[in-house]
Amino acid sequence: MLDVSDLVTAYGKIEALKGVTLHAEGGRITCLLGPNGAGKTTLMMSIAGILQPLRGSVRLAGTELRGLTPARIVAQGVALVPENRLVFPQMSVRENLLAGAYQRNDKAEISADMERMYARFPRLRERREQLAGTLSGGEQQMLAVARALMSRPRVLLMDEPSLGLAPLVVAEIFRIVSELNRDGTTIFLVEQNAHMALQVAHHFYLMEQGRVTFSGAPGQLAEDEVIQRAYLGARPAD
Amino acid sequence: MDDYLIGVLSNIGVISFIALSAFLLLLTGEISFGQQAFFAIGAYAAGIATALWGWPLSAALCWGAATAGAAAVLVGLPTLRLSGLYFSVATLAFAEMVRLIFEQFRYQVVVDGEPVGPNGTDGFRGIRYIFENDVGPLQYLGLIYALLAAAFAAFMLLERSRLGVAFRMIGEDAVLAGLHGVAVARLKVLAAGLAGALAGIGGGLYAHLTTYVEPRIFDIMLGVHSLAYGLIGGLGTALGPLLGVLIDIGLLESIRPLSGYRMIIFGGLVAALLIVRPRGLLDERVVHYVRRAWRSRRRPQRLLSSGKD
Amino acid sequence: MIDFVQNTIDGVMIGSSYALLALGFTMILGVMRRLNLSYGPSIMIGAYLGTVVYLQLCASPIMVVAATVAGAVLAGVYVERLCFAPMAPGAAIASMVSSFAIWMQLEQAAILVLPRHTYPFPPLATGAPLAFGPFLVRTDHLIMLTCALAVSTGIQLLLYRSRFGLALRAIINNPVAAHLIGINVRTAIIWAFALASAVGGIAGYLVLATDQQVTPMFGMWATFKGLIAMMIGGLGSIPGAIVGGLVLGIVEAHSQWYFGPQVRDLVAYGLLFACLVLRPGGLLGEAPLRELSAGRRGA
Repeated sequence: MLDVSDLVTAYGKIEALKGVTLHAEGGRITCLLGPNGAGKTTLMMSIAGILQPLRGSVRLAGTELRGLTPARIVAQGVALVPENRLVFPQMSVRENLLAGAYQRNDKAEISADMERMYARFPRLRERREQLAGTLSGGEQQMLAVARALMSRPRVLLMDEPSLGLAPLVVAEIFRIVSELNRDGTTIFLVEQNAHMALQVAHHFYLMEQGRVTFSGAPGQLAEDEVIQRAYLGARPAD
Repeated sequence: MDDYLIGVLSNIGVISFIALSAFLLLLTGEISFGQQAFFAIGAYAAGIATALWGWPLSAALCWGAATAGAAAVLVGLPTLRLSGLYFSVATLAFAEMVRLIFEQFRYQVVVDGEPVGPNGTDGFRGIRYIFENDVGPLQYLGLIYALLAAAFAAFMLLERSRLGVAFRMIGEDAVLAGLHGVAVARLKVLAAGLAGALAGIGGGLYAHLTTYVEPRIFDIMLGVHSLAYGLIGGLGTALGPLLGVLIDIGLLESIRPLSGYRMIIFGGLVAALLIVRPRGLLDERVVHYVRRAWRSRRRPQRLLSSGKD
Repeated sequence: MIDFVQNTIDGVMIGSSYALLALGFTMILGVMRRLNLSYGPSIMIGAYLGTVVYLQLCASPIMVVAATVAGAVLAGVYVERLCFAPMAPGAAIASMVSSFAIWMQLEQAAILVLPRHTYPFPPLATGAPLAFGPFLVRTDHLIMLTCALAVSTGIQLLLYRSRFGLALRAIINNPVAAHLIGINVRTAIIWAFALASAVGGIAGYLVLATDQQVTPMFGMWATFKGLIAMMIGGLGSIPGAIVGGLVLGIVEAHSQWYFGPQVRDLVAYGLLFACLVLRPGGLLGEAPLRELSAGRRGA
């Protein structure tokens, strides 16, 4: 579904992505793990078009996304739940959800989808007129996910959904991730929390210093080695 | 050197002080639209000292710097804790208040049978120290540039010192600087005071150069210009604002025949320049490369002995 | 007492146009997070176009309004394209200084085309002031107030009930997230500038038609009134712009009555300074927008 080939993105002269290649299979959960600074967020931002890669390609079901504006990429069916949620703080929960459907015109279906979001995330329904900036971290995360889903994306990108959240909340987030996937959403997930991520992923990649260093199914690498490399990077001896 | 050239160079020299003043605050990350207030305070204070109190020029200039610096500290204390935009607008408000206060300010003393001193909107005439003491235009030019060279040398020292690094750290990311142990609030006030004093010296020199100041001169135009000099010339080094003044006044003089279109051309050029060089001609990157090239040139043996890599 | 109320009334009237100026200013500031020093001058370009149309074509007031607004919008978009669009996210001061350079450019261009010190503007209303008991209200002031209310309400509706308004608010809240939900941010910003300039153009027309003349100083005057009113009332909100404008108008009217025009300006700036130091979020206490800073970090 989503194919990244040899993607190179740089900040000025510094290459943050040194030729990343990976594949997110349709209907599955693909996970990208790696230590801080590995380039995970850079990759997400590059796919979403916020950062413009220098070289390489990003294809969604064959259509080239590299070089498109972020708005066009959303139109193609990509939705990113960004790191740190980035909800619209002075807008209500309801308006945040509506904003997620910005590119859509089908009013009746949009309303129906909002109902579905409220059903899936009951706490959002409770707080629907509340300003998003006043929600707790976990609620904001759910709002960010729901907002992204409102565009009915073909692939949902998630950048560190567990960041800064309490363990119980993290568990709930991942439960929702599984649920979404069971209902048919393709998910490409970047995470630091390797333990939780590996429990839901069908396939995972390890990224270190701008390159993909491992690709496989959970269980192929011993879980603690994965966790070690995800948090600390490969040891020099490896 | 003819009088016209001396006049232009003197102008460049005096204006450079206010450019350096705004630049110093920019280093600490603060955009001030109000340095013209301290320029004004320095001008009036130094003028009063020589014309009304009979002080020598050196003492008057120090007095101008001191009052301007003190005023800057007083204003800086409540305003520096404001974040970026609010601080900038506060400087603008303060500077306009100063200008409007000078429009009401009257302080006249009878000297040699004539009343001399600031007279509200009519301004302050008769700051004739350099004429009464036979200081020729060339000599005064020399004084201006001697002081400017001293100020510039101080900046060079600052850039290499821990204080200078601390200033730039605050400018890059004040929170991070604080976490590294930099006394952010105190240093910001220090920078404000120094910047004010610098502008004050410039003001004092200006008052004696033109022998006449009026509040109208010290308006927002002067303030934004002083920022613009640094932006045009470059924020990487103290040479930048000086270059900016040179370009502005130099260009202004050289397109005198087109003077009706001066600002149209100049404004467009500045806007175009800022698109490609948002931090000026001598921005941090250029300065970095120049420094690196200079350092490697000083060690020719290394290059030779490494041979062809 | 009568004087006090009369001054307050006059202050509210003139303050309503300050409110519109503040409104346009705050729209640009909210969306760009940068100060546009060319805001007033672009309105002035509109005003000069209006006066040309008035003089050369003997146009009706409606045409003059249209010309003023059109000129302001064109100038505003010119400023956006040159001073704001090409600048990278960290180059906030560059944008501001660039907008200052263009301010000077626009001012000189206007003076070149129309070199006299003052040009006529069609009056907003003629006839005697209306009497409400012991108080007098000028008809043109009343028109000014009504238009200001209408425009503010219109902008409020636009921001909160339309798709475009949603896009603007999203950009104001979080520009990156705005990209991520598929808003074409570049285009939206151009439209925001155009809208803000149009509002400014209307405000400019109202003020100039009340004075019945336009001078080259108008650009700077408009920028400052808008800026002061915006900061007093609170950045980033329509109610803030309105409150700020009205407060500024009232304070000015009283200061001028008791102390004269020079002190009036001093009081205005003093009020601004006091507000900034004591209550930076403005009288309505809005959470301050993420600020600009001269460092490389920040908007």
